[in-house]
Amino acid sequence: MDEFQSGEETAFVVDEVSTIIKESVETAIGGNTYQHSRVNQWTTNVVEQCLSQLSKLGKPFKYIVTCIIMQKNGAGLQTASSCFWDNSTDGSCTVRWENKSMYCIVSVFGLAI
Amino acid sequence: MEEYHPGDEVAFNPDEASNCVKECIEGIIGGVDYSQNKVNQWTATIVEHSLTQLVKQGKPFKYIVNCAVMQKSGAGLHTASSCYWDTTTDGSCTVRWENRTMYCVVSVFAVAVTL
Repeated sequence: MDEFQSGEETAFVVDEVSTIIKESVETAIGGNTYQHSRVNQWTTNVVEQCLSQLSKLGKPFKYIVTCIIMQKNGAGLQTASSCFWDNSTDGSCTVRWENKSMYCIVSVFGLAI
Repeated sequence: MEEYHPGDEVAFNPDEASNCVKECIEGIIGGVDYSQNKVNQWTATIVEHSLTQLVKQGKPFKYIVNCAVMQKSGAGLHTASSCYWDTTTDGSCTVRWENRTMYCVVSVFAVAVTL
């Protein structure tokens, strides 16, 4: 009888989530140049793509995915997050991506049910 | 014996959270200009204060508070978020604030805890 369960299925795995985010961003905005008229659609695509891949993992988690796209213009941008949760089961992962014309920052927060 | 309990105590109240956050922002960056060497400290303070105020409300929620501060220099900024949760109990609110030199966007996500 297996008594030791490593808890793989119920822990937030940062590496796995990080890979999902990177693929989603590449797919959604991979070779594009910042365009004001399309950025709305891009942020939506990135978060939806991430969320659908995450829910496919089938883990007992609630997810929050946020995406920021900023044009490269010399402006300064600073973001911070603070979380009040259960440290043993919940986690987050943030991926910073950029190309020649824009920055994209995606954060995923996973909270165990 | 009271059998009917309205869900007030366990539903996320976005207006209350929004007011709480606005006060925090005003208190921290209210009259100041964007400063690269202070912005790190500002974002950290805003999220910490907001979180502390929210937790003081004593509701059975886990919270995530996210803050972005951007210098006004003509760049375009777009944010989006998507959530996979229980829509009857969980919720979010986003506050957009600005002054002459910067924008501040704070998002609060509240996820109900089943005790």
